[in-house]
Amino acid sequence: MKPAPFEYVRPGTLEEALRLLAEQSGEAKLIAGGQSLVPMMNFRLARPELLIDINSLAALDYHRRDGDVLAIGALARHATLSASALVRSLCPLVTEAYRHVAHGTVRNRGTLCGNLCHADPASEMPAVMLVLGATLVLRSARGERRVAASDFFTGLYSTVVKPDEMLIEVRIPVTAVSCGHGFAEVSARKGDYAMTLVASTLDIRGGRIYAAALAYAGVSDRALRMVALESRLVSQVPSQALFNEVAEAAAHSIDVGEDQHADRAYRSDLIRTLTPRALAQAAASIAT
Amino acid sequence: MSNKLIEIAVTVNGKSLERRVPPRMLLSDFLRHELHLTGTHVGCEHGVCGACNVEVDGKTARSCLMFAVQAEGAIINTVESLGTIAKLHPLQQAFWEKHGLQCGFCTPGMLMTAKELLAANPNPTREEVTEAISGNLCRCTGYQTIVDAVMSAAETMRNSEVTPS
Amino acid sequence: MNQRYIPDLKIPVSRRREGPRENMRWIGKSIKRVEDPRLLTGKGKFIDDVVVRNMAHVALLRSPFAHARIKSIDISKAQALPGVIIVVTGKSMAETTGPTVSFSSPPVPQYVIAVDKVRHVGEAVAAVVAEDRYIAEDALDLIEVEYEELPVVSDIEQMPFAKGDAVLHPERGDTNVAMDRTFTFGPVDADFARADIVIKRKLRWNRSGPQPLETAGAVAEYDEGTGKFTVHCNTSMYTYVGWLCAVSLGVPATQLNIVPTLAGGSFGSKLFLHRVIVLTASLARLAGRPVKYIEDRLDNMTNADAHGSDRLYEAELAMKSDGTMVSLRYQVIDDYGAYLQYGYGTHGNAFSQVVGPYRINSVEARVIAVLSNKCQQGAYRGFGSEVANFVIERMADVAAKELGIDPIEIRRRNLIRPEEFPYVIPTGNVYDIGNYQAVLAEALRMFDMEGWRAKQAEARKQGRHIGLGLVTCQERSVFSSTEFWSLNPPDQPGFALTSSPEAISLRIDPTGKAFVKLNAPFWGNSPETVVTQIVAEALTLEPSDVVVGYADTDAGFNGTGPGGSRYTVMVAGAVVAGARTLREKLFKFAAHMMECGTDDLELRSGNIGIKGVPDIQKSIAEVAIASHYFRLSFPDEPGFESGLETTAVYDHPLTTLPPADRSHLGIFYPIMGHMAHAVALEVDIGTGKVEILDYVAVHDCGTVVNPMTLAGHVRGGTAQGIGSALLEYFRYDEDGQLLTASFADYHIPTAHEVPSNIRVGHVETPSPYTEYGIKGGGEGGRMAAPPVLVQAIEDALLPFGVEIMEIPLTPNRIRQIIRQAQR
Repeated sequence: MKPAPFEYVRPGTLEEALRLLAEQSGEAKLIAGGQSLVPMMNFRLARPELLIDINSLAALDYHRRDGDVLAIGALARHATLSASALVRSLCPLVTEAYRHVAHGTVRNRGTLCGNLCHADPASEMPAVMLVLGATLVLRSARGERRVAASDFFTGLYSTVVKPDEMLIEVRIPVTAVSCGHGFAEVSARKGDYAMTLVASTLDIRGGRIYAAALAYAGVSDRALRMVALESRLVSQVPSQALFNEVAEAAAHSIDVGEDQHADRAYRSDLIRTLTPRALAQAAASIAT
Repeated sequence: MSNKLIEIAVTVNGKSLERRVPPRMLLSDFLRHELHLTGTHVGCEHGVCGACNVEVDGKTARSCLMFAVQAEGAIINTVESLGTIAKLHPLQQAFWEKHGLQCGFCTPGMLMTAKELLAANPNPTREEVTEAISGNLCRCTGYQTIVDAVMSAAETMRNSEVTPS
Repeated sequence: MNQRYIPDLKIPVSRRREGPRENMRWIGKSIKRVEDPRLLTGKGKFIDDVVVRNMAHVALLRSPFAHARIKSIDISKAQALPGVIIVVTGKSMAETTGPTVSFSSPPVPQYVIAVDKVRHVGEAVAAVVAEDRYIAEDALDLIEVEYEELPVVSDIEQMPFAKGDAVLHPERGDTNVAMDRTFTFGPVDADFARADIVIKRKLRWNRSGPQPLETAGAVAEYDEGTGKFTVHCNTSMYTYVGWLCAVSLGVPATQLNIVPTLAGGSFGSKLFLHRVIVLTASLARLAGRPVKYIEDRLDNMTNADAHGSDRLYEAELAMKSDGTMVSLRYQVIDDYGAYLQYGYGTHGNAFSQVVGPYRINSVEARVIAVLSNKCQQGAYRGFGSEVANFVIERMADVAAKELGIDPIEIRRRNLIRPEEFPYVIPTGNVYDIGNYQAVLAEALRMFDMEGWRAKQAEARKQGRHIGLGLVTCQERSVFSSTEFWSLNPPDQPGFALTSSPEAISLRIDPTGKAFVKLNAPFWGNSPETVVTQIVAEALTLEPSDVVVGYADTDAGFNGTGPGGSRYTVMVAGAVVAGARTLREKLFKFAAHMMECGTDDLELRSGNIGIKGVPDIQKSIAEVAIASHYFRLSFPDEPGFESGLETTAVYDHPLTTLPPADRSHLGIFYPIMGHMAHAVALEVDIGTGKVEILDYVAVHDCGTVVNPMTLAGHVRGGTAQGIGSALLEYFRYDEDGQLLTASFADYHIPTAHEVPSNIRVGHVETPSPYTEYGIKGGGEGGRMAAPPVLVQAIEDALLPFGVEIMEIPLTPNRIRQIIRQAQR
């Protein structure tokens, strides 16, 4: 399965990359890790006319604390982030979710930013970004804009990224000490995309839920953050009964899709089963 | 659509070389058909099976998901760099002794993955080996003897490091 | 006491020449594999490594529709693309190339490229030959095909009733039913009448497939000077039936040479590859260039003629209330897909061991073979009898439940006893030898069923669902060719061949080294290793004194090849025969050199010496060099011709013809291995996911040549059985679209999905009929894993009272089952 022909360029500077992207808007695609893009090109489902390879832009391969935010650059690889002690201490949900992401070799080249732009509906990281309230920084030759994760994902493999924009950085608020995280996923085999996954944080203060974030992926055409369900959790005392109730409400309110691996009833089952597990995990994981 | 060739300079198995390749030539095809290094195998061309795993700048990569042009300036090692029949790498020796292969098609990719694991983690548990090879499909062995082989090679390699100075 | 029904047949006497012996030097040793060094260093030569000068590359345009007439094909734009050499449609290829091989009778014609209509998604509609594969695929985009869609029947229960435009091969009649015949073996009606209880169930075995890591491919050259084709291919059976490809090409067999390459796994899928051979050869002739075609993964999933069984059973097991099994009756609909290359062989195969290891008195089967708009079935590890195992084991479990008998006990009560062998089953096949009780006992000893029952009870208290399973299954080995046609209508048997030999050529060179040429390929089985071991044993050589290679069809002969777990047994027979011939000749020369009688001599450690006189001996090398070069030192008599070489053909050691009335099928698969698999697993009832906690596999494959490689087949086969039972599904939707057409969607087990420690146990009942008593074991664990997993999952879900008679049990399906039970 060979890709259709394309032109290739590997700019040495970010400015050049953005200029090329602006000039060839619509016909060009950026390539970083290529772990999602190249399979689609090999199947000829994607046929960019120009590939702009950003792998030379080494300065974009970073992750660091920037004030009260974990800043992750465009070329930060999954392998780096999943093994990073800094990531684990600042945003432990990311580390936890990474246990389910693909396999080692794919993580070596795949990038977080590339994964988010690809917006696979069953991928882990979009849900994690929704839960953590990340901000995505889009740069183009025209300038820069910031988009909240909750506005970023628009549909099946679709985001708000314009044809001349690059996701240059992801900014994730540092998780509070009082905040626990939970992640539960079911996939056909370990490392596969999720049939359903639940990502959650619970900020528990004085024995009550101060803030909650709850997101799902694999259930619809995009990752979903369930704000309405979150408000059911806030100011409650965490308990199995509460979590079950929220799970039931989630199963009812999410309009699940179906495919050859999981029908609607199964996805609803998984929402019912995995939600309490993720929430319980979140409650239990708070550092004492 | 231009058929323009792009010149690349790359180091493969310790040898520096230059070639002119079309942009869309996959690294797997470049290695196998341009350089005649047929040890690296192709099983799916969509990045799932791992038969095409090679080492790019010290880390394994799916060569079916890279374009040869992307390898400009890279240091690539394939299974041919691991050892020869006269001098097998401990991993190759261990796979031989522990029956870690049957048809041999997944083996080169498996060896490169195992090499990467042991470089980062010289004393892995069986679970860690399993996790490391979970991105390499094998249809013949059921994996158990592959894990046996990697554990055995790890021990051999640890022991050979312990040399009195 | 009822008289046991035994088909009227005479079991031929054993032709075995070498029995199993204690303290064999090489047979039974786990020597490192001879094949490995080159595979480990990346120097193995697989088909895509073959390069022929001036070689062009082929890509196939695959049909996007499951069933459609091809109204027109416009290849002009594709043809005009720079780098394209030729574009060929089915119609134009049919001018020079006939249909490919079909073992069915009457045959179901299949053309290498579809001619008037397409019959499944993925079927080839046109072929492009271009300078490289990239350009060839570019050209595919430029081919314009006009299709007229035809109806698709997707429900297996509706397939027998399809008519009109839904019929795939209307020239065969207005039906997709290729065969609907009932086979009666023994007094079934009387047996059912005397039963106390009849267990009746429906069972569904869905379609999975071999999916080796390496796809099929071929490189073909056509020599315009001689009119001869040379085709490199990762095929098997090339010396057996390869010449049939010459027929398709319209040339005499002398004009086709098939050259084998290493195969990166087959599991049956590369058994013949007639289509790939004929495709490339024909294109090479048309293009005037050598061509290479390597299936990509999409080709292999949709169009490789290699899907597994796809069956719906309605089965009845007649029982006595004490748990005795009396008779088995079933109707099976088998969805063969669009063609019928191996006829009904997968049902003949099932008949070889359809009663399992049990003393069932009679069998009746109505086999309905239907054609449908799917890729056709090929051979997949088990070739249909793994499904028979599934059926009988599931029925035994249901019987145990309904009669209130422990499932292990009900098996024990029905197991054929050691003293009853050779045992003729109602279908006429023979079980040569076994000790099923010993295998069961060993499995129970290794598995600790009592300990697991206690853990299960504890777990239930905590709301966890552990399930336990144990099955006792047959693994027949060494098929006879009667299986290919014995289910065809007796008046239309087709080519009723009765030969399925294996052959080698063997020579000893002037330095005393042994050279063996095989007539069958390497698949990941270990032909070079086992042949080295057996030659070393037979001639008292060191393994390093033996080299093994592979003949092409110009030089090769009579190699049925691996498949049906037959290769080691059959090649052992050929080696024993060849070694005896050479030993005889060596002794003749040696006797003259040492001035004694040939009866005074023996082989010992690479020497030929006088029995009882350790000092008088000559090395094989000494005798060899004399025989090669010193003719005039020996008498002017026959038997002293220069050199030491021979060929040896070994025919099936135990096979008979079916009678004309087909009241039974004769003996056709008698070298009968046996296995007991036991499993402990846990079902997460919230998610439907299954985790295997413990797995034991005890196998009896008679004398084992190399225990290490045999264990490899047990584990690898078990992994594939896990795949078929829990993960893998070639799932077609109601329009015939294949929904699982990539490795992302077709879920082959990774290291995480296979138990980390499959404990393999071992019992040996050497066959009285084969050399050294070897039995086949290559199909291994796949024959038992599916029923043991389903049994254990059902056991785990005991609190829900469910009964499960199908595979695959994906998490989705398990949740569905639980949900239904909760209503």
